[in-house]
Amino acid sequence: MPSLTATMMTASNALDAINQALDVVQNNVANASTPDYAAQTQSFDAMQFDPAQGFTGGVALAQIVSSRDEYAEQTVQQQTTLLGQAQQDVTSLTAIQSQFDVTGSSGISAAFNNLFSAFSAWGQTPASTVAQQDVIEQANNVASAFQQTAAGLAAVAQSTGQQLQDTVTNVNQLATQLAGYNQEIMSGDQDDAGLDAQIHSAFDQLSNDGGISATQQSDGTWTVLLNGQTPLVLGSQAFALSTGTVSPSPTSANPNAPPHLSLLAYDGTDITADTTSGQLGSLLNTANTVLPNYLGDGNQAGSLNILAQSFASNVNSLLTNGNQSDGPPPVAGVPLFTYDTTNATDVAQSLQVSSTITPNQLAAISPGPPEVSNGVALALSQLANPTSASDEINGLSYTQYYAGMAANVGTLLDNANASLSTQQSAVAQAQNVRQQISGVSLDTEATILIQFQQAYEANSKLISVLDQLTEDTMNMLTPTS
Amino acid sequence: MPAAPVAERLVAAQWEVKRACNLLIAPTPEALDNCQDALTRAVSALTEFRSQCLEVLADPGARPMVDALRAEILRAGRLLQNLAGFYRGWERILGTMSAGYTAGGDPAPVARIGRFCCRG
Repeated sequence: MPSLTATMMTASNALDAINQALDVVQNNVANASTPDYAAQTQSFDAMQFDPAQGFTGGVALAQIVSSRDEYAEQTVQQQTTLLGQAQQDVTSLTAIQSQFDVTGSSGISAAFNNLFSAFSAWGQTPASTVAQQDVIEQANNVASAFQQTAAGLAAVAQSTGQQLQDTVTNVNQLATQLAGYNQEIMSGDQDDAGLDAQIHSAFDQLSNDGGISATQQSDGTWTVLLNGQTPLVLGSQAFALSTGTVSPSPTSANPNAPPHLSLLAYDGTDITADTTSGQLGSLLNTANTVLPNYLGDGNQAGSLNILAQSFASNVNSLLTNGNQSDGPPPVAGVPLFTYDTTNATDVAQSLQVSSTITPNQLAAISPGPPEVSNGVALALSQLANPTSASDEINGLSYTQYYAGMAANVGTLLDNANASLSTQQSAVAQAQNVRQQISGVSLDTEATILIQFQQAYEANSKLISVLDQLTEDTMNMLTPTS
Repeated sequence: MPAAPVAERLVAAQWEVKRACNLLIAPTPEALDNCQDALTRAVSALTEFRSQCLEVLADPGARPMVDALRAEILRAGRLLQNLAGFYRGWERILGTMSAGYTAGGDPAPVARIGRFCCRG
C-alpha cells in the first residue's frame, strides 16, 4: 500500500510539473511577437527510481531556461550601432548638401557666373554706368550667396548640436530605465522573462545611439558601458552624459573660430575622441570634422571661407591696382568687397560689397604701361577661366573649386546612402540569426504541446489504473460478511 | 544604353547577387546553400562578359547599371563578412566551452561531424 500511494503521488506530481511546463509554453506563445522576448524552456529533473527502497521515480520541476544568446544579442547591438551611425550620416549630409547648388541656377555657382558675365560686359563698355551698376549688383549677389551658404551651414551646425543634446537625453533616459530594471532584479525578479525582454529592448535602442557593451553581473544586474569604458549603468545607478563646447585655444590659428562640440562622461571627462560610432559618433564627426571643412575651426579657415577670401581679395587687388580715371592726376580704384579680416573663419559670413562704393569708382583702367582703358575689367572677366596660378586655388578656378566642394559633399552622401542600405541588410541579418536562436518558434511550441499532452494522458491513465488497483486492493483486504 | 546582350548579362548578374543578398539576410543553412548557387551563377554571368568590361565601363548609359551591380556586390560582400565573423566568434565560444584553450591560449578547435545535404 505505501508503494501504491507513493506511485500515485509520483504520477500526481508529474501532472503538476506538466501543468507548470504548459504555463511556460503558453507564455512563449503569448509573447511570440513581443520585441526582444527570448523563448523559455521548462527543464525537469528525474527523481530517484529504486522501488526496493521506496523511490518510485517520476519528474520534478527544475529551472526555467532562457534561450537568449548574449553573443547573438551583442552582434545585433554592434550592427545597430553602425546602422545608427549610417542613418545619422545620411541625415546630416543631406542637410549639408542642400546648401550647395550644383545645377548652376542658384547659389554661389550662379552668382559667380552672373558676376563674370557682368565683368565681361563692363570690359566691352568700361565707361557705361549701366554696366558698372550691373557689376555692383552681381557682386552683391555673390556676397549674398556666400552669406546664405555660410548661414545655412551654421544652421546645420546648430541643428547638429541640438540633435546631439537630444541623443544624449535619450541615452540618459534609457540608462535610467535600465537602472530601474536592475533595481527590480535586485528585488528578486531575476527570472522574469518580460523584464528580460524589456532590458534587451533598451539595449537595442541604446546601441543605436552609441557603441555600448552590456555584461550581466553575478547578482543578475546589468552593467552598461559606452565605448567600452564610460559607465552608463552600474547596478541601480545611472550615470548621465552631458554635452559641452570646446573653444579654440587662444594660441591657435583662428582663436575666434566656432567651438567644437564635446561629449562628457558623468564625471566631466571628455569622451569625444572615444565616441566614434552610433548616432553620437556621427553627430560629433559632423560637428567637429565635416562642417569645419567648410566653415573652419581653430586650425583651418574652411573651404568656403578660403574661396570667399581668395576671390574677394583677388578682385579687390585688381581694382585697387587699376585707375578709375587717368587724370591727371590718375585716381586709383577702391575695393569692391569688404569682409572680416580679423577672423579667417568669418569671411564668407561677413562678405559684402563696400557700402561706400559707387559705380563710377570701379577702376576699369589698367595703368600699364601700356595703359589699357578696360584692362582691369578684362582681367576680372578672365577670372572665370584663369591662366595664372594667382587667380586659382590649388590649381582650380573659383567655379571649379566651388564645384569640388559640392562634389565632395555629394560623394560623402552617396557613400553614406550605400552604407545605410548595406547596414539595414546587416541588421536584418543579425536579427534573423538571433531570432533563429532565441525567438519563439510556434512550430516548436506546438510540438512541445503535443508531447506534454501525450505525457498528460499517459499520467492520467496511470493514475486511473493506480486508483483502480488501490480500490481492488482495499476490496481484497476488506472482510466479506 | 549598352548593347542588349551586355545589358541583359548585367541585369542577370545583378539579379543573382540581389537574390544572394536576400538569402544572406535570412541565413538558415538552406538559405546559405542556395546563396552559394546564386553567387556562383552571378560570377559565371560576370565572367562571360569580362572581355567586354572596358567597353561597358566606357559606355555612360551602362554606368547606372554597373554602379547598381557594384553596390549589390558590396552589400553581398558585407553580409558574407558579417556572417562569417558571427560564426567565427560563435565557434571560438563553442571551442572554449567544449574543449578549453590550446597551449597557445587560443580557443580549442571544435570537432564536428559533417552535415549532409540532400537535394531532390
